[in-house]
Amino acid sequence: MKKVDSFKILTAPAVIFVFVLFAYMLFVYIYMSIPIFQWEGCGIYLTNIWHASEIPAEEYYGIAAAIWGSVYTSIIAVVIALPLALSYSIFVNDFAPPRIKNAVIVTSDVMAGLPTIIYGIWGAYVLVPFLRQWVMMPLYSTLSFIPLFSYPPVSGYSYLSAGVLLGIMVTPFASAIIREAYASIPHTYREAAYSLGLSRYEVTRIVAGMIRPAMVSGLLLAFGRAIGETVAVSLVIGNTFNMSISLFSPGYTISSLIANQFGNAFIYEHMTSALFAGGLALFVIGTAINMAGLLYLRRWKQNVKF
Amino acid sequence: MLSFRQIKDKIFVGLVLAGTFAALFPLFHIICTVVIMGLPAILSRGLVFFTGTLSQGGIGPALYGTFMLAFLSSLIGLPVAFLVGLFVYEYPESKLGGFVKSLLQIMLEFPTILVGVFVMSIMVIPMGTYSALAGAFALAIIMIPYVAVYTAEAMHHIPTTYREASFSLGLSRVKSVFHVLVPMAKRGIMTGVLIAIAKVAGETAPLLFTAGGLYETYPQGVTSPVGAIPLLIYTLIQSPSPADHATAWGAALVLLLIFIGVFVPIRMSLKEVKM
Repeated sequence: MKKVDSFKILTAPAVIFVFVLFAYMLFVYIYMSIPIFQWEGCGIYLTNIWHASEIPAEEYYGIAAAIWGSVYTSIIAVVIALPLALSYSIFVNDFAPPRIKNAVIVTSDVMAGLPTIIYGIWGAYVLVPFLRQWVMMPLYSTLSFIPLFSYPPVSGYSYLSAGVLLGIMVTPFASAIIREAYASIPHTYREAAYSLGLSRYEVTRIVAGMIRPAMVSGLLLAFGRAIGETVAVSLVIGNTFNMSISLFSPGYTISSLIANQFGNAFIYEHMTSALFAGGLALFVIGTAINMAGLLYLRRWKQNVKF
Repeated sequence: MLSFRQIKDKIFVGLVLAGTFAALFPLFHIICTVVIMGLPAILSRGLVFFTGTLSQGGIGPALYGTFMLAFLSSLIGLPVAFLVGLFVYEYPESKLGGFVKSLLQIMLEFPTILVGVFVMSIMVIPMGTYSALAGAFALAIIMIPYVAVYTAEAMHHIPTTYREASFSLGLSRVKSVFHVLVPMAKRGIMTGVLIAIAKVAGETAPLLFTAGGLYETYPQGVTSPVGAIPLLIYTLIQSPSPADHATAWGAALVLLLIFIGVFVPIRMSLKEVKM
C-alpha cells in the first residue's frame, strides 16, 4: 500500500472547503437566476425597463442600463488609471531618490488598502461638487453639442464622477503591477540606451515598450476591481436607470443596483431573481476579465526572462 | 538654446512628475478632509462619541461590532487560509496546487458585494435573521485568499536549504513544515494576517445584507444583528440630517485611524509586499 502523506490529509479539508465554497457560490447565483430567465428570457440583460409591481404578472426587469453603467464607469476608470500608474512607475524606478521612493510606494499601498467607504464619503462630499463646478459646468456650457457632454450636470452625480473616483481607487492596483514589471527590466538595457546618447524620454520609451503586456494585464486587473466596486460608486453615480453615453448623466452599476434594491426585493415576486441574474453577470464578467489579466501576466513572466 | 529633443525631454519629465503627483495627491486630500470634518464632531461630543449609542451621538455599538466582526471572521477564516497557504507552498508544481493558486487570485479580485448576497442567501434567510455570524462569515471569505497568499509567499522566502536539512534529519513533511519552517516564517505570516484583518475591518459591501446593523444597543450575541463602522457611515451619509453627517465624518476618522494605525507600521517594517 502506498503511504498516504499526512500533510495532505491535514490540509485537504481546507482546500476542499475553499473549492466547495466557490463552486457553491456560482451554483447559488445560477440557481437563483433561473426564475427570471423563465419569466422574461434574455430580456433581463437586453432591455432597460425596471417595473416593480405588487402584481407579479406586471413585473418586468431589464438591467441593460446597469450593465452598461458598470462597463462604462470601469472604462473611464482605466483610462484615468493608465497614465497615472505609468508615470508613477517611471518615477519610482528611474527618478526617485531612495528615501522618497519608499515613501511613495508606501503611500500607494495605503491607497490600495484604504477602506472603500472612505473613498465614497470623500467622493460624495468633495469630488462630486468639484467635478461639477470645474469640469462638468464649463464643458457643458461650451461643448454641449457633443453627445458626450450633452447632459445638463444638475446634481453632479454621474458616470464621470463614478469613473473618476474609481480611477483614483484602482490606480494603486495597476501601479503595483506596472511598477514591478518596469523594475524587472535589467539596468544594463537602460545603460546601453543612455550610452547611445538617448534622452530620458527616448530611453523610457524603449523600456516601457518592453513591458507592454504587463501594462495590458495591469489594466485588465484594474478593470476587474473597478467593475466590482460597490459602496463608493453607489454614493456618487446617482442611482438612476439611464442608458446614455453622456458622461454627466446619472446612472446605475450592477453592484450599486444590488446594494440599493436587494434590501426590499423580497416584497416582489421576481425582483430577487432579477438581482441574482445581475450578480451572475457581474460574476461572469469580473471573473473572465480577472482571469484574462492573470493569465496574460503569468504568460509574460514565463516567456520573458531577462 | 535648447534643441527640440531637449524640450521634449523636459516636457516628459514634467508629465511624469505631474502624473505621479495626481496618482498620490488624493490620499493626502482624503486624509485632510476626513480630519477636518471628523475631528470637530469627535471633540464636541467627547468620550460619548466612542461609547454612546447613535441617538446619544456616539458610535459605541458600531465600534464594538467592528472589533467583534474582525475577531469572529479571523476565527473562521484564519485556520482555513493558513492551511490552504501551506498547501499552495508545498505543492507548487502539481496541477491541484496551481489550480488552487489561480482560484485564490480570482477570489482576491472577486466583487465583495457578491459575497454578501451569497452569504445572505445561505445563512441569513435560513436563520431568519441578520447576524454577527453571517457578517463574519462573509468577511472570512474575503480574508481567506489574502492570508493564504501571504502565507505561501512568506514560506517561499525561507531558503530551500533549511527545508532540505529538516528532511535530511528524517522528519516527515508535517513535522518539517510545522516545527521547522512555519516558525521561521512566523513574522511574514503574522504580517499577512494583520493586513487581512485591517482590510476586512474596513469592508462595507459584504456586510450590507448580512450583519444587519445595530446602533442603539450593544450586540447581544453572535446570532443577533451587529453594526460596524463602515456600514454605519454608509447608512448615515445617505440620511438628510446634518447631525448624521457629522457622526459619519467622525466615524470615518476613527476608521481611518484604525486602518492607518494597523497598516502603516506593518507596511513600513517590510521591504516589499504584493497586494
